[in-house]
Amino acid sequence: MTIFLARLLMTLASTSMGDDRRDWSLAMQAEYEVAAADGQALSFASGCLVAAWRELLASPQGRFTLTNYAAALGIMLPMAALQIGCAVFGLPYLYPGEHGLPGAMLVGGSHETLLRSIYLGAVPTLALIQLITGIGHVRLAWLLVERDWPGAIRWALWTLAGATALVIFMSVLFLDAQQALLQAAIVGLEVAAIAIGITRHAEIAAVRNPTG
Amino acid sequence: MRLVLAILAEQRGEWRHGYDLMKAAGLLSGTLYPLLMRMTDNGLVEAEWREPAQQGRPPRHVYRLTAAGFALAIELTRESAPLSGKEMLA
Repeated sequence: MTIFLARLLMTLASTSMGDDRRDWSLAMQAEYEVAAADGQALSFASGCLVAAWRELLASPQGRFTLTNYAAALGIMLPMAALQIGCAVFGLPYLYPGEHGLPGAMLVGGSHETLLRSIYLGAVPTLALIQLITGIGHVRLAWLLVERDWPGAIRWALWTLAGATALVIFMSVLFLDAQQALLQAAIVGLEVAAIAIGITRHAEIAAVRNPTG
Repeated sequence: MRLVLAILAEQRGEWRHGYDLMKAAGLLSGTLYPLLMRMTDNGLVEAEWREPAQQGRPPRHVYRLTAAGFALAIELTRESAPLSGKEMLA
């Protein structure tokens, strides 16, 4: 059990080390074998994990990686959960007061009978667009962690296109598009953040490899 | 860092393994490795890969002081050494 835990910590330490510290990660792995033979596997492995995390915080590359993880876990996945949940549960969060489409259709209002059939026909399309933007966010979070910048910018633009389409459809149907507009604005900010991230990544890479 | 410098300066030309250094300095790997990385980045320590003594084991990293590292180690030893009577009077 101790050896299993120690190996797990060593694997975590290796994956936490940036590409520029790959040699050090291999060096620690090699010394781990000696430490394990000396009965010090767990304490050595925990120390290596601490060292890897210290390095992660100390280097610009490490801080950049942590920022990517924070953006993916703290912004994109919650946004994806909100959007997918919204699509699956009948768009409840998309309208003021969280009353869903019935609230937006002004149920009980004088013009409800005139608009009901049109709105009910539009629901699947709106839900599908909302679902696509949610799935787009999941993929975007993954690409961000993978640092696949061309893919991330492509998916971010598609997600933005989906969110914009939702706003346009809702406006055409005279629905209150305030919440959808807010979501589209967040996606727009994400596109801008990814564009800044690409520039920042290029700067860090240029500092690490000045010869190009 | 002083301790690691002092240990490496004791046998200047010799290459030392990370685990041996850890034991000699009484430091944990979480303290020693960031130090070694920093010292290598600053040109105080040089590192290279060595084939293992035992077959089936991975190659190991070894470390030794560079000329700059040795000079710093000497300087730090001199600073921390008690002052001689002449130095005290000066």
